Amino acid sequence: MAPPSLTRIHPMLFLQSLISGLLTGGVYALAGIGMSLVFGVMNVSNFAHGDLMMLGMYMAYFAFTLLQIDPYLSLVLIMPVAFVFGYLLEKILINRVIHHPHQNQILLTIGLGLIMSNSALLAFTSDPRILTTTYSSSSFNILQDISVSIPLLLSFLITCGITAVLYLFLARSRTGMALRATSQNREAAQLMGINVSRMSAIAFGIGTALAATAGALIAPTYYIHPLAGHSFLLKSFTICVLGGLGSVIGATVGGLIIGVVEAMSSTYLSSDWKDVVVFALFLAVLLFRPQGLFGKKGGQ
Amino acid sequence: MTRHLLDIDHVSKHFGGNVAVSDACFSVEEKQIFGLIGPNGAGKTTLFNCITGYFPLTSGQIVFNGSRINNRRPDEICRLGMARTWQRVKPLCNLTVLENVMVGAFATTNATRTAETMARQQLQAVGLVEYADKPAGSLPIGLKKKLELARVMATRPKMLLLDEICGGLNHTETASILDIIRTLRNGGMTIVFIEHDMKAVTSICDRIVVLNSGEKLAEGTPEQITSNPDVIAAYLGGGHHAQD
Amino acid sequence: MKQTLISAVLLIMAVVLPLLVGENPYLIGILISVLMMATLSSAWNIVGGYAGQYSFGHAAYFGAGAYTTMIMLSVFNTNPLIGMAAGIAVACLIALITGSIVFRLRGHYFALASIAVAEIVRLTVLNLGFTGGAQGILLTDVAFFGLDMNSKNPFYYGMLFSLALTLAITAYIHKSKTGYYLQAIREDQDAAASLGINLSFYKNKALMISAALTSVVGSIYAVYIRFIDTTAVLDLRMSIEIILTAIIGGVGTLWGPVLGAVLLVPLAEALRSNLLGSVMFKYGIVSETSPVGIFLKDGLAHAHVLVYGIITVLCILYLPKGILGFFRRGK
Repeated sequence: MAPPSLTRIHPMLFLQSLISGLLTGGVYALAGIGMSLVFGVMNVSNFAHGDLMMLGMYMAYFAFTLLQIDPYLSLVLIMPVAFVFGYLLEKILINRVIHHPHQNQILLTIGLGLIMSNSALLAFTSDPRILTTTYSSSSFNILQDISVSIPLLLSFLITCGITAVLYLFLARSRTGMALRATSQNREAAQLMGINVSRMSAIAFGIGTALAATAGALIAPTYYIHPLAGHSFLLKSFTICVLGGLGSVIGATVGGLIIGVVEAMSSTYLSSDWKDVVVFALFLAVLLFRPQGLFGKKGGQ
Repeated sequence: MTRHLLDIDHVSKHFGGNVAVSDACFSVEEKQIFGLIGPNGAGKTTLFNCITGYFPLTSGQIVFNGSRINNRRPDEICRLGMARTWQRVKPLCNLTVLENVMVGAFATTNATRTAETMARQQLQAVGLVEYADKPAGSLPIGLKKKLELARVMATRPKMLLLDEICGGLNHTETASILDIIRTLRNGGMTIVFIEHDMKAVTSICDRIVVLNSGEKLAEGTPEQITSNPDVIAAYLGGGHHAQD
Repeated sequence: MKQTLISAVLLIMAVVLPLLVGENPYLIGILISVLMMATLSSAWNIVGGYAGQYSFGHAAYFGAGAYTTMIMLSVFNTNPLIGMAAGIAVACLIALITGSIVFRLRGHYFALASIAVAEIVRLTVLNLGFTGGAQGILLTDVAFFGLDMNSKNPFYYGMLFSLALTLAITAYIHKSKTGYYLQAIREDQDAAASLGINLSFYKNKALMISAALTSVVGSIYAVYIRFIDTTAVLDLRMSIEIILTAIIGGVGTLWGPVLGAVLLVPLAEALRSNLLGSVMFKYGIVSETSPVGIFLKDGLAHAHVLVYGIITVLCILYLPKGILGFFRRGK
């Protein structure tokens, strides 16, 4: 299908792309926030992030097919399970490389990701699964021509809810404030009596929970298979860098921006090139504003 | 008539709203041992980092040996003849002591053999010959400081910037390093010294500038500085002794 | 010099090996894979192990060599060596562009940027027409100075030559000013700059050499397999495998990457070809049609990547300097 002529941009098409982009962007933001939190508190690049999302997808799938629980309701189960998984993973493995050079941390998480995705391949085979609920393809129309997908809208609303709770947690609770202190200055936080290694485990647990949640939220709209996480990995990194490594607000805004950029590229260029646009944007940010929109540390 | 080797001309450095160095002006003459002192946080190391190309200046200019060096890269500045040591030593840990100094020596030669010879000479000068094949990371702090001195001397500089080279050393080690520095100056080297240890500074420097909160507080000979009431107040106020 | 003597002996052994092994294409094929991985990891080692700049997107240079050579051969019908030279030029161009973006960054940003560049290359090649898109490129006929290109032997010697070249270059750098400078950059960039080292120049130099050598391997691979697509030559998986091989053997050492390849490639092949399964079937321990049998046949083929993952995790935790690195420092 030829891209529409740019000399006559349909406002409706533009709005449609914008809205779809924002809705998807919300879920991206969730994944991005999880990763950014880990960056901020632990200063670790988690290359297993995409595979954690994939695990969330499968958890939602099996909750639905085996237990007949609606994917959005299964979040109640998925979030705590994922949190514990992430917490333990950090305590047992990742904590050991906190003071190692960056490349070793990256390689460790890559290795963990490989273990996760290939265990999934062995266990679930590479046949893609599809999670179809009764409302998977439902949509409604606003402004006459713009169709809003119900699953996407639901995901977006849930994301808003979770993000709001997270903000409150970080701003008001003692643990949340301790997390923020550790993120700003690990040494100082330790001197103030904060158990920074516990903070790392909590941060990683939350990051994992958010990744799994993002996975569960997109499960109804994507093909579920063991390697599905990989395309989200680089996207999540782009969101984090765009928003500023360690900034939760930044990741939120970054996620929405990337969602919109993707939707627009898909509409006006072609869906083949949309990933290239996202990565090119990523490089541009690194070149011209490495600290991102809301970044706290300048380019390391 | 001795000429100025280094001119600091109305140099300021701001980090966002934080003024680290404000309108610093002084000059260093050839073959001088010049001291830069002040309480913690006065801006001494920041000024060093500005001079050696690690921070861009907010305003002002720096002239070294006749050329403007503000906003040049650190490696260019080294090749122009200005070398520096680090407040927190930076040994190349996985390389041997000899290899560390050779890295410095390569600044003036391309041949490995020549670099090795030059490096061994420098090790001799600081007394580290028997550590030549040890990994640099395994040395105690006093020897690491000597290594850094040897390494930086291997680059054949015209001027040395020493950032708290006596920091963390005991009296014997400090005396040893000061001896080496005197020998260097007698050989024609110009040296700028950041130091906390007032005794070391007053015993060796020809001229001293005192920084406080980024501004130049006083300049003069060691006698003038130690009897300057503003200087004493700045040090006592900051919880530091003015002299031993 | 002891090193040179050992290297010479190894080289002679490697040269006569095909003659000893005889006409066993399967075994020669494995040896070619070992040589290929050894060369790729050794080439990466120059910029990753010596200069300490871990490029996570080295597949881009492999793919550059492979695709450029394929296109030159299939479209313009040139000699494979010209294809290889063109491949080197393209790889160096990508390296220059990558370096100028990536080398001013540190830590996380650097690693991520190197992946982003590689992915952009992969996606661009996937979407362009003349690169064959998702279908890849197939080479029907190749002529090279009258050699029998259907036999594996020319490719064995081609790969052996590129490995020898890579190791020779590495050994030379190791003893030269460049080598000292690269290691200084790896140990402490700020200190290195203060000693007169032009960081950007030397990092780019290391990357270009590494990229050129990597693309040579890609060119040979293309003519060897006669078919390439983005999954085979531009995938992130390959970039990771290259790094893993170097790490396990010993990053920053001369023979580490070679050791890594010698250990990992046969292991992967054993898993992939289901050595365990075939043995169990052959001796009737497990029936081919039983659930266990089916799992062994279909599932375990994927296990080699799983094993890679496990080895990586164990290596980073317990042997971060690799096998040779562990013995080197005696720690």
